[in-house]
Amino acid sequence: MLKHRKKEDKKDHKKKSHSSIDSPRKRLFLFILGGWLLLLLSNQVDEFSLYQGAFVATYAVGIASIILLTGYSGQLSLGHGALMAVGAYAGALTINNLKWHPVVALIMATLIAGLFGLLLGAAVARFSGPYLAGTTLALAISLPSLANQFPILGGQQGLIFDVGATPARFGDEFSPYKWFFWIAALAALIIIWFVANIAASRFGRTFRAMRDNPIAAQLCGVNVARQKVTAFAISSGVAGLSGGLLVMLITGVSPSAFPLSLSLLLLSGAVVTGLYNLKGVILGGLVLVVIPEIAESLLTRIGGSENLAISLPGFLVSALLILAVMFTPNGPEHIFKRKH
Amino acid sequence: MTQFITAVLTSLSSGAIYALMALALVLVWRSTRVVNFAQAGQAVLTTYIGYEVIQRTGSYWIALVAAIISGAIIGAFIDRFFMRPIFKRVTSGPIVLIAPVVATLGLLGIIEAVIGIVWGLNNQSIEPPVSNAGLNVNGTVIAFSLFNAFVLGTVALAMILLTLLFQKTNIGLALRASAYSPEISKLSGIKVDMVRTLGWAISGAAGGLAGMLYVPSTYLFPNAMDILLVFGFIAAVIGGLESMVGAVAGAMVLGFAINFVTTYISTTLVFPTAFVVLILVLLIRPSGLFAGKKGRSA
Repeated sequence: MLKHRKKEDKKDHKKKSHSSIDSPRKRLFLFILGGWLLLLLSNQVDEFSLYQGAFVATYAVGIASIILLTGYSGQLSLGHGALMAVGAYAGALTINNLKWHPVVALIMATLIAGLFGLLLGAAVARFSGPYLAGTTLALAISLPSLANQFPILGGQQGLIFDVGATPARFGDEFSPYKWFFWIAALAALIIIWFVANIAASRFGRTFRAMRDNPIAAQLCGVNVARQKVTAFAISSGVAGLSGGLLVMLITGVSPSAFPLSLSLLLLSGAVVTGLYNLKGVILGGLVLVVIPEIAESLLTRIGGSENLAISLPGFLVSALLILAVMFTPNGPEHIFKRKH
Repeated sequence: MTQFITAVLTSLSSGAIYALMALALVLVWRSTRVVNFAQAGQAVLTTYIGYEVIQRTGSYWIALVAAIISGAIIGAFIDRFFMRPIFKRVTSGPIVLIAPVVATLGLLGIIEAVIGIVWGLNNQSIEPPVSNAGLNVNGTVIAFSLFNAFVLGTVALAMILLTLLFQKTNIGLALRASAYSPEISKLSGIKVDMVRTLGWAISGAAGGLAGMLYVPSTYLFPNAMDILLVFGFIAAVIGGLESMVGAVAGAMVLGFAINFVTTYISTTLVFPTAFVVLILVLLIRPSGLFAGKKGRSA
């Protein structure tokens, strides 16, 4: 009997260690496969779809940053738009003043936003619940307006974010939209892979422990304050990359590109597709891009007024948000799991 | 010197409006532990109702009463038919803490979109009941108008009425008790659910009043109250979210900081000032100026 159990234990152990080696490899393989599929896809679809695909990737990165902070580490932020603005300005300054390659600019966007998040997090991450929400909300409205104070940031007009001509080695046929799509999709794949690895690592485990029970986590030797700052800094960096991608797509950065509604839109996207699961990020990005399209096609069918046309997308996103909170609060996949 | 006195007076009158909004948020937070972001939507909806009443009757005063009453009705309605089902439904998982807040954000989006569909996005204006032109003091026109004085007086009156309600009546006692400890209140025979709905109604009425006092100095559009909501929330956080005195104090701190910075330094620093004040207060006292004892907030 004892022997039998021991055997089972061993088997169990073997299985576990096997899967823990296997899982990151499997994940990497999946991401590479996904990238290859996207590459194939980018040759098949038209330019407008490519442009929209780039937006999906951008929003997915933004949503990943919110899932990491709010979903995994339990800090509600209403100001990710501001962090995106930091990344966007950092990237624009790198391109305009240092004349570096756009990819380097995007990396700079990530790093500088991460550094900003580290400093900010050191000050605010110890605030709990509504206090953090209030601070980040204030940040979301105040930071973009600060750009008007500094001439180097271009004031109300903002800065140009021009990635330049597409590389010559891709030939003349290669459109700038495809170039955008490649950059955005690759950046999204890399960063989401990175966030998924963090979530599966020791960090992710500590974040979840701290979210579910901060006191118990502290008793287990987790330095809660430091981990909160870490989560805030990583999430800021990811948000900064998303901001850099966003202004690459709209070819310029200005204070008005980062309204409060952007922060809330990303939060909606994260909640709708499951705040506690990274699998939903692409879906989340897709939802945010597709809803205005749905609204438009609805309007052409029923023929609404101009007021309706402007307000309908917001209405749909909000309605979806409320339905998601009411019926699938812990993510859409729980619809299927609830049965047993 | 005139500049200084003007700055003080305008600080008081803008602080008064922030205070109403902060109070509306604190009232809901105390009883429900929810930051009600939909308050901006409720307030702008009641102000549109007030605007319609003015179009029909031409009287600001009837519109003011209509806005306050409809604010109370909308607040009670939201609690009864929106928040209560959400609290019943969402009971497990880490989402519990943020689901209600996210739901109010969604509600805010819906209300503003519906207003945009019904009334359009154009700026409307509401004529103030008394002159909005700057007062003339010894030949110099200052930035403080008769309407600002009216705002200040009305808010002071509303505060006195609220204080009387909370401190001197049985309803006020029930409101305080069920915010302090719902279980014990239930055991002593208070219908906690109903009292909570009443709290939402009072909060909605305060929001309605805030809208009718705020809009005449600016314009009415679907997002008109968003900024007021943010300032009200910052004021409430500065005050500690728990205490009504704290909300008023926080609003005054914010009002003075913003108006003095815009008077003496630069008019473009409104939002950064709010952020800096909030951060400074929270760094010194992480749960606000007038936060209750730790044991209270559970």
